[in-house]
Amino acid sequence: MLEAVVEGWWWWWQNGRVATAAVVLLAFGVISVKRYVAKKNRRRRWAAVGKDVVVVHGLGKGRRTPNLSPFVLTLETYLRLAKIPYQMDYEEPFGPKGQSPWITLNGQEMGDSQLIIQMLGRRFGKDFTASLTKEQKGAARAFNMMVTEHLAWGFRLWRWVENKGRLMLQEMDRVPFIVRLLMPLKRRQIFKSLYFQGIGRHSAEEVHDIIERDLAAISFYLGDKPFLMGSDLCEVDCALFGSLAQIMWNYSGSPYETMVKVKYPNLKEYVLRVKETLWPDWDQCLKRPKMS
Amino acid sequence: MALAALLWEMVRLWWSFTNGAVLMVFAAAGGLWLAVFYLSDRKKNRDRWQQAGRDVIVVHCLSPGRFTPNTSPFVMKLLTFLRLARLPHLVDHEEPFGPKGKTPWITLNGEDFTDSHLIIEMLSDQYNIDLTNSLTAEQRAAAKAFTVMIDEHVCWCLRAWRFGEDGGSNLKEGLSLPFYKRLLFPLFVREQRTALWHQGVGRHSHAAVRAMMKEDLLALSKYLGDKPFLMGDTACAVDCSMFAFLANILYNYNRSPYYAVVNEELVNLRQYVERLKSQLWPDWDECLASP
Repeated sequence: MLEAVVEGWWWWWQNGRVATAAVVLLAFGVISVKRYVAKKNRRRRWAAVGKDVVVVHGLGKGRRTPNLSPFVLTLETYLRLAKIPYQMDYEEPFGPKGQSPWITLNGQEMGDSQLIIQMLGRRFGKDFTASLTKEQKGAARAFNMMVTEHLAWGFRLWRWVENKGRLMLQEMDRVPFIVRLLMPLKRRQIFKSLYFQGIGRHSAEEVHDIIERDLAAISFYLGDKPFLMGSDLCEVDCALFGSLAQIMWNYSGSPYETMVKVKYPNLKEYVLRVKETLWPDWDQCLKRPKMS
Repeated sequence: MALAALLWEMVRLWWSFTNGAVLMVFAAAGGLWLAVFYLSDRKKNRDRWQQAGRDVIVVHCLSPGRFTPNTSPFVMKLLTFLRLARLPHLVDHEEPFGPKGKTPWITLNGEDFTDSHLIIEMLSDQYNIDLTNSLTAEQRAAAKAFTVMIDEHVCWCLRAWRFGEDGGSNLKEGLSLPFYKRLLFPLFVREQRTALWHQGVGRHSHAAVRAMMKEDLLALSKYLGDKPFLMGDTACAVDCSMFAFLANILYNYNRSPYYAVVNEELVNLRQYVERLKSQLWPDWDECLASP
C-alpha cells in the first residue's frame, strides 16, 4: 500500500508538477475574475439605488435585533430619525479601509458611524440639537462620547472576552467553518485592542463596576424625561439606543442585562420608547421576521 | 608588545578550554547579581515609601516636565485632585510604571493602587470626600459624562497629534530626558502609535481627528460658559481632568492646532486654566524641571 503511494507520488513529481501548477493558477485566476465581476456588479447595483439614497454595509441581521453590531444599529436608527432613505447591504460588510459599518452615497464611500452621522447631518441639513441650550449641547456631546468611547469597550470586552463570542456566533446564521476556525485569532486581536485602550487591563469585576457607574450616570441624567436631552430625540439617543438595545436582547446572562433591565429600569423603558418611535416595524426587520 | 601578545595568547587558551558551561555560569552569576541589586533597590524604595507616614499618598510617576509639572495629563489630574482635596502626598520617580503597566500609580499605607480614576474614587470613598454634594443628580451625571469624554476621547485625540502627527517632538521639548532615554524615545513613539491604531483613533485621517477634537473642546466651552468651574461655583473631580488636559494643550502642545483653539478662540477655556492654576498650583514654577 505504501509502495503504491510512493510510486504515485513519484509519478506525479516526474510528470504532474507543471500540470498541477497550471490548474492551481487557473483556478486562482477564475476565482479572482469572478470576485472582481461580482464586486463590480454590486457597485453598479448600489449606484442604481438613486440619488441621495444611502446604502449601509454591515454584518447581518440578528434574530432579536435588526443588527448585531451596535454601530450599524446606531446608524440605522439615525437614518430613520433623520428620515433619510436607505438600503441595507450585507454582502460586503467591511469597507475599503476595513471599517464596518460603512456607506455608499452617490458613489462615494465613507466609514465610521459617528463620522457618517456628522457628514449626513451637514449634507441633509439635519441638526437635532439645534433647539437645545449651549449647556445641553455640550452635555449631549459628552454623553455621546461616553457611549461610543467607554461603554462600547466595556460591552465589547464582555461579548468577546468574557463570553468568548459564543452568543454572537449563535445569533449568526450559516457561520462558515473558516469563521469559526479564525475566531480565536479575532478574539486575540480584540483582546490586544482592549489592552491598548486600557480597559482590558482591569479585571472583569472592575470593568463591570466601571461600566455600571457610567450606566448609573446615564440613568440619573435621563431621569423621567422621555429621551436623554428632553422631549425630542437627537443624535445621542441613536448612539445610546444602538448600544443599550444590544444589552437588552443580545447580552443574555451578562451583568449589564441586569443593570439595564432591573437596576436602572428607566433605561429599559427608554429603549422600548425609542424602539416604538423609530422602529415600529422592528419585528419585520429581524432575521426570521415575526409576521404580526 | 610581547606582554600584550602573551596576554592575548592566555585569553585564547582560556577561551578554547572553557566551554559554554563556564560562560553560562558567568552569565548566570551576572544575572543573579543584577536581580539581587534590582530587588534590593525595590525593597529600599518600599521602605522609603513606608516612611512617608500614615495616610500620606506616594504618587509614582515620570519626572517633572519643563513647562508643566508633568507631561502626562493623568499625573496632572491626580496631583490636582490631591491638592483640591487637600490630601497629604509626595511624588516619587523611581518606579513610574506600576501594576497593569500604567502610570501614575500610588502607594498608600503599604498598598498599591493604579489607574487615576480608580484611585480618585477609592480616595473619595476612604476619606469621605464628596466634592459634588451641592450638585443635583443630573449635574453629577453630566460631570461623570464629561470626565469620561475627557479621559477616554480627548486623551486619545491629543495622543494622536502628539505621537501620530507630531512624532513626539513637541513632547521631547517638554521633557528633560537623559541621553540614553533620548535614544529609546523613537521606540516609545512607535509603541504609542500601535496603541492608537488598536484603540481606533489612529485609523482616522489627521483632519478627522482634529475635527473630533474641536467638537469636544467646543462642548467643554459651551457647558462651562461663564461659570468659574465646569459644574458651577465649586471645583470637583471633573475640573481636575479638564484642567490637566487643557493645561497640557496650552503648555506642551504649542505647535498643534489646538493651542490656538484654546488660547484664542475658546477664551473661557484659557481663563479657566489660569484660574485653576493660580488657585491650586501657586507653586507651579517650583514644580517644573530645570531646563
